[in-house]
Amino acid sequence: MRAHVAEGSVLRLEQLTKRFGDRAALDKISFSVNSGEYVSLLGPSGSGKTVLLRAIAGFEAPEEGRVSIVGEDVTRKPPHLRGIGFVFQNFALFPHLSVFDNVAFGLRNGGDKRTESDTRRRTLEMLDLVGLNGLETRGVHQISGGQKQRVALARTLVIKPKLVLLDEPLGALDANLRMRMRVELRRIRERLGIPFLHVTGSESEALAMGDRLIVLDRGAISQFGPPGEVYEHPANPNVAKFLNCYNVFDGSVQGDAFVTNHGPIPLARRVASSTPAYAVRYDRLTTRADAGAGLSAAYIASEYLGSAIMHFFETPDGKVVELEHHLSNGPPDAYEAGRTYRLSWRPEDGIAFV
Amino acid sequence: MTATEIIVEAADATPPRSTRSVGAYLLIAPAIVWMTLFLVVPMAMIVYVSFWTQTTFKIEPKLTLDSWQTFFSSSTYISSLWTTVRIWLTVLAMTFLVGYPTALFVGLFVKNKTLQTTLLVLCVIPFWTSFLIRVLAWRPMLGKEGAINILLMKAGIIQQPIEALLFTDLSVVIGMTQIYVVFMVGPIAFMLGRIDPNILEAARDLGAGFWRILRKIIFPLSLPGVVVGAIFVSVMVLGEFATSAALSGRKVNLLGNIIVTQVGSLKWALASVVGVILTFIMGVVIAGLLRIVDLKKEL
Ligand SMILES: Nc1ncnc2c1ncn2[C@@H]1O[C@H](COP(=O)(O)OP(=O)(O)OP(=O)(O)O)[C@@H](O)[C@H]1O
Ligand SMILES: [Mg+2]
Repeated sequence: MRAHVAEGSVLRLEQLTKRFGDRAALDKISFSVNSGEYVSLLGPSGSGKTVLLRAIAGFEAPEEGRVSIVGEDVTRKPPHLRGIGFVFQNFALFPHLSVFDNVAFGLRNGGDKRTESDTRRRTLEMLDLVGLNGLETRGVHQISGGQKQRVALARTLVIKPKLVLLDEPLGALDANLRMRMRVELRRIRERLGIPFLHVTGSESEALAMGDRLIVLDRGAISQFGPPGEVYEHPANPNVAKFLNCYNVFDGSVQGDAFVTNHGPIPLARRVASSTPAYAVRYDRLTTRADAGAGLSAAYIASEYLGSAIMHFFETPDGKVVELEHHLSNGPPDAYEAGRTYRLSWRPEDGIAFV
Repeated sequence: MTATEIIVEAADATPPRSTRSVGAYLLIAPAIVWMTLFLVVPMAMIVYVSFWTQTTFKIEPKLTLDSWQTFFSSSTYISSLWTTVRIWLTVLAMTFLVGYPTALFVGLFVKNKTLQTTLLVLCVIPFWTSFLIRVLAWRPMLGKEGAINILLMKAGIIQQPIEALLFTDLSVVIGMTQIYVVFMVGPIAFMLGRIDPNILEAARDLGAGFWRILRKIIFPLSLPGVVVGAIFVSVMVLGEFATSAALSGRKVNLLGNIIVTQVGSLKWALASVVGVILTFIMGVVIAGLLRIVDLKKEL
């Protein structure tokens, strides 16, 4: 695995390790986030995303390793001296305060004495930036989920943190709102130029939002790179699985072929990995003409996704294989339930982890 | 949500209006009957009796203001009214000062739920002995030759035993605080336990120190618990007579003690007057406390 440590970065982690009992929730995490960068952090549930953010913010003390903010070692500093903003998954708004007072809270804490009119001006500016004008006097129980999200964001941003950590900030919102908030988040961040580290369990969110993408697996970094690179070149079979766009088959390399339960597949692209597997993207499969590599599976069902349609097939030994048909490529094929089809792809579209 | 709201909402599902209200009223009927028989009727009776004519040996249902005049023209009674208010306010303040930090410790700093429950149960253990024993146990503690005086003298802090410890306001306040503090701790610890830890972390992240978090976040969020605790303590202390009888050597006379004495000498009318006054004070206190927070919204 590569170390992702660069000089002159806003956040830098070196060998960060956090254990609960004898289990390592974080295992020697090293990476850095540059100024103005939007980094998304993707990982399955329980992979340590929240623990990582909490360790960076100072709510958990790591056993080993260092956290540096703008070159300064803050590993032993309390959260409020780190200059990090934290947006909680459940928003964690102060339930007894109004929208205005929630946002102004951080300004009124400051050791630097600022006047109430200055606090007021900055709070209103921030509410304006996140699009909450007119709601200042509302209680936080009297606003919608999306508005709560904005209050949580404004409350964190108003104290001008050097880095903002967001723990599944859109997880509590419905799909429609999530799409709108994605755009909003990016717009707000671009206005402020503060680096964001955004944890998400959704691969599409991670791919869409990050300038760079970290894939976390069981407390360790599996891959760190631009979304396109991660998407096209997953570093190992687990990354391919999390991305939720690859069919991943078990098997082993024998000579020039990757041998699976479903037959041998010709090898083209090889990636070194600790566990052997073969991955091919959903949208590279076809049933129309034999493209060189392939297997046979029975059709089960389809799912309409708007711009694409997902077809599900099942191999004789019960492995579900997905085929994604983009509707811009013409109308979908009609399949007959239970009938066996030959699913094929060009050998160079498959990745063999060996 | 209150019980009546639940009833009304559940009843909303049944379409015909008449059955709906009949059903709802049937549900509330036992409670209404119970409250009428054992609360409203006795209260009305006490108010009524307070206007009866009292002679030395008997009482007649002839309406008069005599007993009320007796109460308000006697400096003994008036001063016991003030003593009651003074002891009540002091005990209320003491239970808060002792109880809030305790609740803070149990509800917020003890993260382990089992330990939390254990600690709360520990607070209740004194209630496994009788009230009288708990009160009387203070005598060997506070007396002139009691444990506290002996300790202080051994430690050389005082030369003479402090006599003011027992049979004074102080001993009554100490005794009552010990007995009733748990009613303050319970509701506050309950409210504190419900605070989302992320909220406190958010406050810390935004730069608030411990005292500011306590003042701006924790205390306001626990206020309903304080109010409920204050109501419990107030109602119990205002109606008290046993602690003051046992620990004040009859020097501290609360309204409760007067009722006991008057009933003892069959002066029902005057006892009723004091009872009405006491009930009125409790009503005002509870109404006042409930104005501080909207309990219906908070719980
Ligand atoms: N306080 C704790 N004590 C013990 N184990 C913990 C604690 N906090 C987290 N863990 C463990 O650490 C691992 C990582 O947890 P974490 O909350 O970071 O997962 P996550 O990636 O955020 O998952 P999710 O997407 O479900 O939020 C989990 O196995 C969890 O059980
Ligand atoms: Mg999490």
